[in-house]
Amino acid sequence: MNIYKHEFKMHIRSVVTWSASLALMIFIFMSLFTSLAIDAELMNEMLAQFPEELLIAFGMTNLDWTSVLGYYSFIFLFCQLILAIQAGNYGFGLVSVEERELTADFLLAKPVKRSSILTSKFLAALTGLTVTNAVVWVSSILAVNLYRGERTYEAKPLFLLLLSIIIFQLVFFSVGLLISLLVKRVRSVTPYAMALAFGTYVLSAFGSMLGDAKLEKLTPFQHFEPNYIIANAAYNTPLVLISVALIVVSVTGSYLLYQKRNIPTPV
Amino acid sequence: MNIFLHELKANLKSLLIWCVIMLMFVSTGFAKFSAYEGNPELLAILDDLPPAMLAAFNFSAFNLTTVTGFLGVMYNYFALVLTIAAVMWGSDIIAKEERDKTVEFALTLPVPRSKLVTGKTLAVLVNCIALVLFTWGAAAANAAKYTPDEQFYDFLALSMLAIFVMQMVFLAVGILLGAAMKQYKRANSMAVSILLATFFISIISGLNKNLEFLKYVSPFTYFNPGTMLRELVIDMDYVWLSAGIVLAAMAGAYAAYKKRDLYI
Repeated sequence: MNIYKHEFKMHIRSVVTWSASLALMIFIFMSLFTSLAIDAELMNEMLAQFPEELLIAFGMTNLDWTSVLGYYSFIFLFCQLILAIQAGNYGFGLVSVEERELTADFLLAKPVKRSSILTSKFLAALTGLTVTNAVVWVSSILAVNLYRGERTYEAKPLFLLLLSIIIFQLVFFSVGLLISLLVKRVRSVTPYAMALAFGTYVLSAFGSMLGDAKLEKLTPFQHFEPNYIIANAAYNTPLVLISVALIVVSVTGSYLLYQKRNIPTPV
Repeated sequence: MNIFLHELKANLKSLLIWCVIMLMFVSTGFAKFSAYEGNPELLAILDDLPPAMLAAFNFSAFNLTTVTGFLGVMYNYFALVLTIAAVMWGSDIIAKEERDKTVEFALTLPVPRSKLVTGKTLAVLVNCIALVLFTWGAAAANAAKYTPDEQFYDFLALSMLAIFVMQMVFLAVGILLGAAMKQYKRANSMAVSILLATFFISIISGLNKNLEFLKYVSPFTYFNPGTMLRELVIDMDYVWLSAGIVLAAMAGAYAAYKKRDLYI
């Protein structure tokens, strides 16, 4: 419990910053909706003239810009990108921070099992992610309702989108944690998290450009494609299962690896 | 000179990793292009559109049935990945000394601090140049099998130049953050947030006509691949703007690092 509290305190500033910037982004993008929807007809025409590959790359295909949810799903892709970086950051930094700051031997000398250290840290980071998640929920629902004007929307696809966040975060978090335990030393967390998040994002954008590709099925951005969820009001279940499998494998792997990890000491 | 060489050696691994990433990226991209090449359906759609419209919307730039048009689409991704590399290197190169607790050692060397910054900057500069050249070579090599015309190579050269200018902007901003931010731990995440923010701004500025002024804020919008392809020129105004940003950031970095307090 002490570890949990300490870890959460360490995270809280970063959680606030990430949540605030996400909320800000949602509101800025949503506030453009009013002006966009007014000349949505024009917009639709203009978009029709854009090269299709560009639209696909930015998730702007099959989009009805006249509908709130159509527009929201476009924003949601960027939310996912930010959420992925945040979750990746926490995952990569979770245990590697102790080794980098040379506090690992202090922590591991405490009369606590390694597995419970990992669990406490894990739960603390998860709490942080959930706070961010909640902020995205609230600001999304607020922004959608604030800027939708007279337009109506269906609640189910929106909730499905928002519900997917937690799994999405967990994928990046646990994969990051696993990788950080696989490598010898993580000097700096951000490059890893950026590479993971942007790599999978670019891969997914690329994959959408050409229909059936195998490699792209691995990226979580494809598992929770906003357009698909909005259009079908359902998840793409087989792909979501890949994400769940990734989480299970990474978490078990992390526990196993952390039990046996060699910890370098400062002296 | 020693600092420069040392940093080059220390960053070699990271450079190699980025090269591998770019190589994979370029080859998968061009492998995908094979499905587009000479695709009759796409060609038919393009033929149906009036030429004026094609020009107005850069459509011809992104004619995916030609290897040149395909590069036009890839440009955005190249720019994103390569600038990430630049901003990471820039923000890390100075901040890492404090993180790895080697800063006392580095600063007790009989060289002025400004020389330290110069050596480190040159090292990451060489890294950036190497990565761009590598990407250039990889793209040219991968495109070779589609027998591209003269225009492709000109456009490739121009887009690499544009991306290099963008890299310089982000590199300089990264170095400034590393040198000036009180908490070295924040420099890295700050650099990333700036990159993300400018990336989103580049998207917003395209959405609404009233927000077009935002394009000056984001280096991602400085060079339009469509114009570059059609006219084969690089917009000099933005090159000067970028140079201004780079100079200002570097001057700031030197000034800040000279007075930097170290918490050991």
